[in-house]
Amino acid sequence: MMPRFGLLLLVCSLSAQQAPQPAGKTGNIGLYRNQKLAPGGPAPKLADGTPDLSGVWLGGGASDADVSNPKGLKAGEQVVMLPWAEEIVKHRQSKEDPEANCLPAGIPRGSPYPWRLVQTPTHYFILYEGNIHSYRQIFMNAKHPDDPDPTWYGHSVGHWEGNTLVVDTVGFNDKFWFDYKGHPHTEKLHTIERYTRTDLGHLSIEVTIDDPGAYAKPFTTVGKATLMPGTELLEYICQENNQDLPLLTGPARGPGGQ
Amino acid sequence: MRRLLLIACAAALASGLPALAHHSGAAEFDSNKKINLTGVVTKVEWTNPHAHFYMDVKDASGNVVNWNLELASPNVLIRNGWHRNSVKPGDTVSVTGAQAKDSSNYGSAGVIIFPDGHKLSFLGAEDPAK
Repeated sequence: MMPRFGLLLLVCSLSAQQAPQPAGKTGNIGLYRNQKLAPGGPAPKLADGTPDLSGVWLGGGASDADVSNPKGLKAGEQVVMLPWAEEIVKHRQSKEDPEANCLPAGIPRGSPYPWRLVQTPTHYFILYEGNIHSYRQIFMNAKHPDDPDPTWYGHSVGHWEGNTLVVDTVGFNDKFWFDYKGHPHTEKLHTIERYTRTDLGHLSIEVTIDDPGAYAKPFTTVGKATLMPGTELLEYICQENNQDLPLLTGPARGPGGQ
Repeated sequence: MRRLLLIACAAALASGLPALAHHSGAAEFDSNKKINLTGVVTKVEWTNPHAHFYMDVKDASGNVVNWNLELASPNVLIRNGWHRNSVKPGDTVSVTGAQAKDSSNYGSAGVIIFPDGHKLSFLGAEDPAK
């Protein structure tokens, strides 16, 4: 059972997902209070007609507490781990979480910090405030190399399908966790992210996770990001003063203990 | 209703375990080990992944013990109305929160109360309207 605190966090998080608001309104977005909210209105487009996804967003494509939570999965989908993966999740400890060690979150794990999407004709960039203060490159209308070196964010290529940006990524290392619970993956991981700006202030994000090395079948997560029109990214150097690590005890678990 | 919910959220986040950091708050702090400390701030670290302030507190025997108290990240605090000098060395404050599971003089600062009555919390100003 989800402890009360965890449940409250979920309610708080859901309450922060605002419906389109009239111009000039403020409200809570995630942890952030009294933030400027995006006015209502349709999703914008660039001069050449390409959907404009640029801006500072908060939220990700999956539950960072537990990727297998049905609330964060496409209807009818299930996360079915292979036996070795199930076993490793049982034994992982909070202090082993790469996130707690100020290492990158990989894909699809989100964070409580905003991120910015930047579009150029050839490259799209995702700039993460945290965790960690890093970036992803998406090579538009390009191909993956034949044998990419394994990396934390993999090799990403993008294309448009109507109003949806589709980002295909391979070449991951096996080091990051999908969530606080410690769902693992292998270097066979292949993700397909689908970003659709549903209106001016919201981005729908679906991530299909295909890793035959760790999961019996692919699964798709669903998430949403909210535009933060009143904020800019701030510096977040997690490695500077990470005093928590020696104090973390017990099994890997969500932020509120769930 | 929304206002009530937001107040409930703010209160819970301020008084319970620290949430939504780069690690599980429940793995680090024990919500059953409440702290209630009054003392003088000796140092502030306005750093990521968490801001910290240190405070001299007299224990029951009259000995001065220096506590290390954790806040959210400066990024969260700034967006919620804090400034880097909202708590500064020399301030006398009272702090409620939770102690680290290892029972050291390390805790999460849930609510910070100043002599003039104004309050700050782990995530920001307790009443963001102030």
